Amino acid sequence: MVGGCSTITGDGRTVVRVATWGGAGDDSEFAKVEREIFAEFERQNPDIDIRLELIPGSQEYVRKMLLNFIARSEPEVMLLDASSAAVFVDNGVLKDLTPIIAKDQSFDLDAYFPNVVDIARRGDQVYAIPKDFTPMVLYYNRRLFDAAGVGYPKDHWTYEEFLDAAKRLTDRSRGVYGFKFANWMPGWITWIWNAGGDVLNAEGTMSSGAFDSPETQRGVEFLATLMKEGVSPSLSESAAMGVDLFTQGQAAMEISGHWALIGYAAAPKGSDGKPLLAMDDVGVAPVPTQLSSSQTVMYESGWAIGKHCKRVDEAWRFVKYMTSEEVQRKYARLGLAVSARRDVAEEIAAKDPREAKFFEIVPSARPPWGAKVEKYNPVETIGQNMMDSVLKSGKPIPEALRHAANQVDKEFAK
Amino acid sequence: MKQRPIGYLFIAPATIHLLLFAWIPIAYAAYLSLFKWDLLKDSKPFIGLKNYADTLQDQAFWNAMWNSTRYTLVSVPVGMVVALFVALMINQKLRGITLFRTLYYIPAISSGVAVSMLWIYVYLPEHGLINTILMRFGQNIDFLSHPAWAMWALVFMSIWTGLGPRMILFLAGLIAIPTSLYEAADLDGSTPWKTFWHVTLPMLVPTTFFVLVTSTISAFQIFTPVYMMTRGGPEGTTDVVGYHIYSEAWEKFHVGLASAKSFILLLAILAVAYWQFRAMKSQLEGYSTTVS
Repeated sequence: MVGGCSTITGDGRTVVRVATWGGAGDDSEFAKVEREIFAEFERQNPDIDIRLELIPGSQEYVRKMLLNFIARSEPEVMLLDASSAAVFVDNGVLKDLTPIIAKDQSFDLDAYFPNVVDIARRGDQVYAIPKDFTPMVLYYNRRLFDAAGVGYPKDHWTYEEFLDAAKRLTDRSRGVYGFKFANWMPGWITWIWNAGGDVLNAEGTMSSGAFDSPETQRGVEFLATLMKEGVSPSLSESAAMGVDLFTQGQAAMEISGHWALIGYAAAPKGSDGKPLLAMDDVGVAPVPTQLSSSQTVMYESGWAIGKHCKRVDEAWRFVKYMTSEEVQRKYARLGLAVSARRDVAEEIAAKDPREAKFFEIVPSARPPWGAKVEKYNPVETIGQNMMDSVLKSGKPIPEALRHAANQVDKEFAK
Repeated sequence: MKQRPIGYLFIAPATIHLLLFAWIPIAYAAYLSLFKWDLLKDSKPFIGLKNYADTLQDQAFWNAMWNSTRYTLVSVPVGMVVALFVALMINQKLRGITLFRTLYYIPAISSGVAVSMLWIYVYLPEHGLINTILMRFGQNIDFLSHPAWAMWALVFMSIWTGLGPRMILFLAGLIAIPTSLYEAADLDGSTPWKTFWHVTLPMLVPTTFFVLVTSTISAFQIFTPVYMMTRGGPEGTTDVVGYHIYSEAWEKFHVGLASAKSFILLLAILAVAYWQFRAMKSQLEGYSTTVS
């Protein structure tokens, strides 16, 4: 059946469509390894033909998967992004995997980090098996800290201590900044949380009272201070420079996920032929906080099966393979993220102090709002516009936050 | 004239196409606009005119309407003046003039996506075509991310992309003006400037009117450059109504609400076109013979 769930190829193999948001198509090391992982699955399962559907762009990916679902022709297997998990799970786009897991003696859900499994768990039902994830962390460049004689970030660093260090690290005459701020809400949400604020109430149902709370306001004020004090380039300066300052060795700190390490490892070389950012200089610390302990966010991806899928057995074999110890070890070596399997993550952490630091930060990471709140997507647009209006147009912060809270509540009421 | 059934056969292809791809979808959208029709939800309750009432209260929708209005108010008149000027230049007997006519028309037949990509590079900070020049004067403007600039960057681009079709229409209008009128003006000792004001421009009224109405309608429907270049940002300053409706339907899946918004846009465009007709009607009288 055209447009249906599964088809059979000419040689009698079952087609399993697998959707992800990119990779695998290009010539990068990552794509090569990933292609090899898929090929190995087909060797082990000669009755299955894997058809990859790569949709670049996280927004496009979500939209395309949902429209496919509405047309009842979503791929058998989909990679689920924690940031948009709720819209999939809560609208019945995915199959409940619990009965499959219960029947399969060789599969152990306890092998995965429980707070990561929780992202796609609703009550007793599990809708995705986690692949990998990353907490957002504070990266710092030891060389710049040493040069300025500033102590490395501590595990519990307050905003004041952070600002003080950033000021001492900044040397505009040499084009060096203490910190690189980017208006990317999944990255700056931790500044709001660690100031005691948030963008939604605890239930995730309302924004007024949270987005415009005094705590959130303090978080945004702090970010504005970073730019006012010149310890981070302003948004227009960043845009105009067009380069990644941290990777260039010109920003002492930035907040990002595990994936950033891939970019750091490929740092451009300076005139002396050495990389502008040496991997040995890259340190990892928890994000600064005003709370009793640092709180961060984690971004995750997991493998899920489409609701209309009829070849559940074949799809499940693929999911199981992709989240197996063997494949997880191959992915972990690529360094995109932390393996969702505790055994593999522990093994990696034991070998590398930077990975060990990630491992330490994991328990303080909470899922993004998009994992729980179906209508979260517009909140990120509203949040980024709010930040632009404050940092670029100089709109008063309380007014900008009130406006944002109102807009979110209106979206939620639709 | 006698009615011949075969005539229906001739108009059938166009009619069937219109029916399937325009009238039926429009009628269906009208139906959807009366429901809370969320694509992802099983329950799609009838809610009467609530979508329309909500739209009237929706600040973001009116922001989008205002953005479309200011886009139209600048891009259409400026675009028309530029196109007329180019048409006058190109309506000369010069060697190689057809080459210029072709060059000016190329943007119109290029893919909107490709043209938008091209202009992203033109507007790029630091390395873009414009900023490479501005940097010599110590300036560097991130056109597409600055709330004060983004809309005007789109307007400027639209003048360039819209030039070809408008110019061709003006050129056709210019060529249709009988040379006898120019000869008469010449005999009366008219200056070129006076001839332009008193012969060329009045004779171009029907063409101008046609260009005005079609440009206004298409300006209100602008989508591709916004989708490609700004996604309605920065701070919603380029969130034009076409993009706003798209995002309501295909990003948020509120198809009922998006349909209601489309109809309100339709009414607005109709009202503007009607007003333009009324305003031009007196001007147009007496042209019926020359127009057809």
